[in-house]
Amino acid sequence: MDWVYQVFGYFTSEFLWAGAVLAVEITVCSIAIGFMLGLLVALARMSQFFALRAVAWLYISLMRGTPQLLQLVFIFDALPLIGLKFGSFTTAVIAFSLSEAAFAAEIVRGGIMSVNPQQGIAASSLGMGSVKTLRRIILPQALRTILPALAGDSIGMLKMTSVASVIFVSELTFRSQQIVGQTFEFFTVFTGAALIYLVLTGLISGIQAYLEYAMDPERKRGINAAQTIFSRFARKAEPVDQPLAKPAAARLTVQQRTDLVRSLLGTSAASGGKTEEAPFLSCRRIWKSYGEREILKGIDLNVQRGEVVAVLGPSGSGKSTLLRLINHLESVDEGEITVDGRHVGYVKQNGRLRPTSGRAKARAEVGVSMVFQNFNLFANLTALENIMEAPMQVHGVSRAEAEQTARILLDVVGLGFHCDHLPHHLSGGQQQRVAIARALAVKPRLMLFDEPTSALDPELVGEVLNVMRTLAEAGMTMIVVTHEMNFARDVADRVVFFDEGEMVEEGTPAEVLGSPKKERTRRFLNMLSRDAEGLEGDRI
Amino acid sequence: MRPLLAILMSLAAGTAMFATMSGEAHAAVAGCQPEKAAEKFPELAGLTIKLGADPSTPPYATIDDKDQNKLVGSDIDLAAAVFDCLGLKHEVSKGSWPGLFPAVVSGQIDLMLYLYYTPKRVAQGDFVVYMKSGSGAIVQAGNPKNIRAEADLCGKTVAAGLGTVEEKQLQALGEKCVAAGKSTINVMTSTDVPAGFRLVGSGRADAMISDLPLINMMVKKNPETYAVGYSVVSDYEIGAAFKKGSPLAAAFQQGLAAIQAAGLQKEIFAKYGIDPALEIPAMLKTK
Repeated sequence: MDWVYQVFGYFTSEFLWAGAVLAVEITVCSIAIGFMLGLLVALARMSQFFALRAVAWLYISLMRGTPQLLQLVFIFDALPLIGLKFGSFTTAVIAFSLSEAAFAAEIVRGGIMSVNPQQGIAASSLGMGSVKTLRRIILPQALRTILPALAGDSIGMLKMTSVASVIFVSELTFRSQQIVGQTFEFFTVFTGAALIYLVLTGLISGIQAYLEYAMDPERKRGINAAQTIFSRFARKAEPVDQPLAKPAAARLTVQQRTDLVRSLLGTSAASGGKTEEAPFLSCRRIWKSYGEREILKGIDLNVQRGEVVAVLGPSGSGKSTLLRLINHLESVDEGEITVDGRHVGYVKQNGRLRPTSGRAKARAEVGVSMVFQNFNLFANLTALENIMEAPMQVHGVSRAEAEQTARILLDVVGLGFHCDHLPHHLSGGQQQRVAIARALAVKPRLMLFDEPTSALDPELVGEVLNVMRTLAEAGMTMIVVTHEMNFARDVADRVVFFDEGEMVEEGTPAEVLGSPKKERTRRFLNMLSRDAEGLEGDRI
Repeated sequence: MRPLLAILMSLAAGTAMFATMSGEAHAAVAGCQPEKAAEKFPELAGLTIKLGADPSTPPYATIDDKDQNKLVGSDIDLAAAVFDCLGLKHEVSKGSWPGLFPAVVSGQIDLMLYLYYTPKRVAQGDFVVYMKSGSGAIVQAGNPKNIRAEADLCGKTVAAGLGTVEEKQLQALGEKCVAAGKSTINVMTSTDVPAGFRLVGSGRADAMISDLPLINMMVKKNPETYAVGYSVVSDYEIGAAFKKGSPLAAAFQQGLAAIQAAGLQKEIFAKYGIDPALEIPAMLKTK
C-alpha cells in the first residue's frame, strides 16, 4: 500500500499547492474581470444599435471559436511585436478574462432573458432609468440563473489554467509533470494532483451553494419556504390569500382611505375640482403605426385636472397604445402630447417632437404613473419593497419615510398584513392592488390604468375596482382603459369610445353608455353586456 | 494492474539511486574573464538573462529531488557554466516545451537550449550549435523482439513522439520495409516521451524511437524494464536559440567555446548520461 502514502505525500506537497494557489489566483481574477466584461458584452449584444450588436456578436464568436492555447500564445508572443509585452501572470489573466467574457456574456444574456421584460417596463414607467432597473430589478433575478453556469465556468477555468504552462505559468498540472519528469511516478503524482483539484473545485461548488442560498429572495425576507410548503400539504392551511386581507381592509372606512390618499398625495391631486385653465393632459393629432399597420389615426384628447376618463373599445382599437404614448413608453410618430404643459421625454425641433434620452426621469418629473394589465410587480422584492423602490431610487426619499408611506398605501389598498410577501405568494387581485400602491408611491399627478382587471379572475375584480374608486374620490386624474361598464358608469366623468385607431364617440357615461349615437359604439356595448351577463351583478 | 505497479516500484527504486548534483559555479576556467563582462558586453552586463526551460524534460532540465523549486539538468548546468564564464547574471523561466521557441522569437525569454537546428527555425531565431543529435530505440529489457538495427523495425509496433523528427523517419522507414518485401511499421504516436516509454514498458509497443540521451537515462534508471535496442548518431545539429539579431548569441558562443576548451561540456554531458562524443565545436549560425 506504498502508493497510498505516496499519493498522500503528493496531495500535501508544498510544491504542488504553490501551483494550485497560482491556478486559483488566475481563476479568481479572470472570473471577476471576465464576468464584468461579459456583462458589458451581453448588454452590447442586446443593444438597440446594430453596430454594437454586431461587434459583440463578432467578439463572442471569435473568443469562443478559437482555442484558449492560441489566445494565450498570441497575447504572450505576438503582441510584443507591436510593443505590448506582458508578464506570464498578467498574460494569463488577460487571456482567460477575455475568453471568459465571451462565455459569460451569453450566460448573462440568458439570465436577463429569463426575467420577464414587463418588469423592466414597469420600472421604467415608475421613472427608474435603465441602469438602475438592471441593477435593482433585472440582475438580482437573473443572477440566480447565471450563478450555476458561472460556477461551471470557474471550475472549467481552474483546470484550464494548465494550458498556461506554454507561457511560463508554473501551475498545478505543469508542476505535476515536472515531478513526473524527475521521478517518473506518474500515477501517484497525478492522483495527488487530482485530489488537490477536487478540493478546490469542491470549494467552488460550496461557494456556489452558499451564494444560491444567500440570494434566495424567500430566505432573505425571513420566509421559510419549506414551512410554507409543509403547511400547505400537511395542514391544508388556507392559502395566504383571502381571509387575512379582510381585517386589514375593514379597519379603514372608505372615507378614511380617501382622506389618506389625499393627504399622501398632498398638493399633487388634492386640487380636486375641475378648473377652467388649460387641460392637464393634452393629446393633439396623435398618429402611431407599427410598420404598415396604423394603430392611432389622429387622436385628440384633453383631460382636465381631477377628471376620470374611461376609455372603451374592442381590443386592437389603440386604447393601450394611447396610454403607452402618453407616458412615453413608446414614441409618437406625429402629433403632440403635453402633461401639465410639458413634453414627456421629447424636445420640439422644427415643429416635430424628437425623443430624448432620460425618458424615465422625465416621467418622474412630470408625475405620470401606470398600472398594467399583468401587474408587473418586481418578483425579487416583497410587496412593501415593491412600493418603496421607486421613491427611494428615483425620488431620493429616505428608507424610513418610504417605508412609512408604503405601509400606509398597503393599508389603503387593504393589504396591510401582506407587507413581506413576495408577489408570487399573492393572488392576482392582491398583486394588482400592490401595483396600484406602487404606482401611487411616486405621488403621481396622472394615473394611467391599462385594463387593470382583465387578467383577474372575476371574483377578484371588485377589490381592485374598489381601490380605483377610492383614488377617483380622492381627486386623482385618471385615464382608465377598461371593459368594466359599471365602473365606467359610476366612477368616470367622461367615457370615450375607440375603434380602429379612431375616437368614435365621447361624452358623459350616461350619454355614451346610455344612448350611444354611433352604430359602432352600440354594437360594441351590446356585445360587452352579452358577454358579461350573470357576472355584472357581483362585480362592484 | 500488476505490471503497472511493478513499473512504479522500479521507477521509485531508480529514483532513489539517482542522486543528481546541482550545477555549481565553475570558477576560474581558462579563457573565461567574468570580471570583464561590462567591458566586453556593454549591452548585456547588468541585465538578468532569461533562460527558458521545460522542467519535465530529463536529463536536460528537471526539478531537483531535494529542492523542487530548483532546476538541474544538462541544459541548466551548461547554461550556468557559460554565463558564469561570461560574468553575466541569469535566471530560469519554467515553461512547457512547445511555448519555449515562440517565447524566444518574441523576446519573452532570451534563450533556450537543446533545440534542433533547421533552416525553418534559423529564419526566426539565431543558433549557437554545440552537439550532434543521437537517436535510438528503447525496447523491453532483454530485447525480446531482437531489435538491433533500423531494419529490424519492419513489421513491429513502434512508438514515436508526436511531431518529432523520429516520427517522420519511421514513416519513411516503413515504406522502405515494404519496398524490401517486408511488412510495414505500425507507428504509434505519443503526445509526450514518458507516455511513449510507458507504451514500451507495458508491451503495447515493441520499441520507441527517441532522443538518445533520454533513452540512455531511462534505461540507466530502470534496467529491469528497459534496454537500448540500437543507437545512431544523426546529422542533426543541436544548439541554443536566441532572438534574431540578439547580441547574446555571439557572447554565448564565446563563452561556450571556452567551456568546451576546458572540457566542461563533456563533463556535464557525462554527468547526465549524454554521450560526450556528440559534442561539436560551438558555432554561431544566423542562417
